[in-house]
Amino acid sequence: MNLIRAELLKLRKRRGLVAAAALVTIAPMAIGYTVLSILHAANPEKYDPAGGIDNFTDSIELLTQIGVVGAILIGATAGAGDHGAGVFRDLVVTGRSRLALFAARVPGGLGLLVPLVGVAFAIAAVASVATTGDGQSPVTDVTIAQTAGWVALTMVTAYALALGVSSAFGSRGTAIGILLGWQLAAAPILLASGKLDDILPNAALLALEPAEEAQLVTTSVPTAIAILVVWTLVPLAAGAWRTQRADA
Amino acid sequence: MQDFIVETEKLTKRFGERVAVDGVDLRIPRGSAFGYLGPNGAGKTTLIRMLLGLTSATSGSMRLLGRPVPAERAAALARVGALVEEPRFHAFLTGRENLEIIAAARDAAALERIEGVLDRVGLAARADERVKKYSLGMRQRLGVARALLGDPELLILDEPTNGLDPAGILEFRNLVRRLVGEGRTVVLSSHLLDEVERICDAVAIVDRGRVVWQGAIEAIRGGVGSTLLVEVDDVPAARALLADYTVEDTAAGLRVSLPTDADPHVAAEINRTLVAAGIAVRRLDPSRASLEQRFLEITSRLEEAA
Repeated sequence: MNLIRAELLKLRKRRGLVAAAALVTIAPMAIGYTVLSILHAANPEKYDPAGGIDNFTDSIELLTQIGVVGAILIGATAGAGDHGAGVFRDLVVTGRSRLALFAARVPGGLGLLVPLVGVAFAIAAVASVATTGDGQSPVTDVTIAQTAGWVALTMVTAYALALGVSSAFGSRGTAIGILLGWQLAAAPILLASGKLDDILPNAALLALEPAEEAQLVTTSVPTAIAILVVWTLVPLAAGAWRTQRADA
Repeated sequence: MQDFIVETEKLTKRFGERVAVDGVDLRIPRGSAFGYLGPNGAGKTTLIRMLLGLTSATSGSMRLLGRPVPAERAAALARVGALVEEPRFHAFLTGRENLEIIAAARDAAALERIEGVLDRVGLAARADERVKKYSLGMRQRLGVARALLGDPELLILDEPTNGLDPAGILEFRNLVRRLVGEGRTVVLSSHLLDEVERICDAVAIVDRGRVVWQGAIEAIRGGVGSTLLVEVDDVPAARALLADYTVEDTAAGLRVSLPTDADPHVAAEINRTLVAAGIAVRRLDPSRASLEQRFLEITSRLEEAA
């Protein structure tokens, strides 16, 4: 438990990281619903209320697309922060197993990511429910619960991928570069080709999405789960292996 | 039978074709200040990194605190503290938080030792400042504090006086002596001969990856013949009387080189000889060989042999 607390301390004290992660998770939700509310208040004829299922779905779409950048930043920092600062050797010298040092990074980073995404999700959920207008489809409790699970799955997958890749490379910058390139360019292009649905994690996440986008891909639910397990465990295993074997 | 806290046997580390540590047999006595002395690039840090499990050995064996490493690495390192190369920290954390990070990886008591070790290295008042504001000397002291968190039986300090000002170096020497006085063993890896000579009880000299000499500081000094500076009123007569020795003229008189196995009372005997011959002796100054002389002698002999 002490190791996990220490991991969280290292992450939450990085002001730049926390600010950047909040900027891509909480800020879009807060700004989005504020703007929608102002527009509706200024011109109710033209603009619908900020709430309702459509705005909720759109905002969650935005949260998962931009919010994964926050997951990547936190995961990459958790994976390579000690190496970058040159203190990994001092942790190894304590005699604590390298595997334990690596394992503590998983919950340690989630300890920062989950509250940020949780606040962002809460803003979207509360605003969508509270400002549902006449004629708008309401957001049900079931939808909120299913969507929360899907958002958590999306973020944890991105986080685990980033943690594994950065631990494997021993470099935060390299991991962020590779994963942002993948997330923002390569993966959407490959997804659009429609030929790699049974391999891509974003296709698997689409297949599991509670909203209707799930029908955009042909991946079955069991296959989608298997894809995500592989995309989560393989990078983590690579990161753990590298952490154990590399010179400190 | 002497108790060794560190023992290595034929320990070797290769980086491709280059041999950084070449079949080192090292014995570090428990409860001593031990100098691991050698020029830059001699393989000192590589050996320390192997002992601490930071890099693997190519061949050979090692024991720390009587335990085979790496087989029982965790148990051995639990009572080892180390400062390896330049001390590095999370610059955005305070000194205290940096210690908390390391204490979290040690036993539960380590967290309770933080105040004590900060106090011990003189950083208690600055412990809540971010490390990025620390001077190199403060970082060095924080590194020592970090090494002390596990209440170590063995402290391995790699070039620990780098960046310290003269007052800091003096303070550091006193700290090391106090630690040894508490029964701990301190291994000081350094290329600074004077530093090792002032602090350590025993020393190993390493050159090009090999330990070329090890033993007590007194023994290494004793390996070199000492000299005797002699000032007299009649230099030619004194030189003739001391013909059995190697004698050189100096500006003020004579320098008599004494053999390694010279009688400890040889200076008194020379004095008696000179006085008995009616020569007035103004000065008779035995000069002990320094570690530096011995170090240079050993390494230059190796260079000649190479």
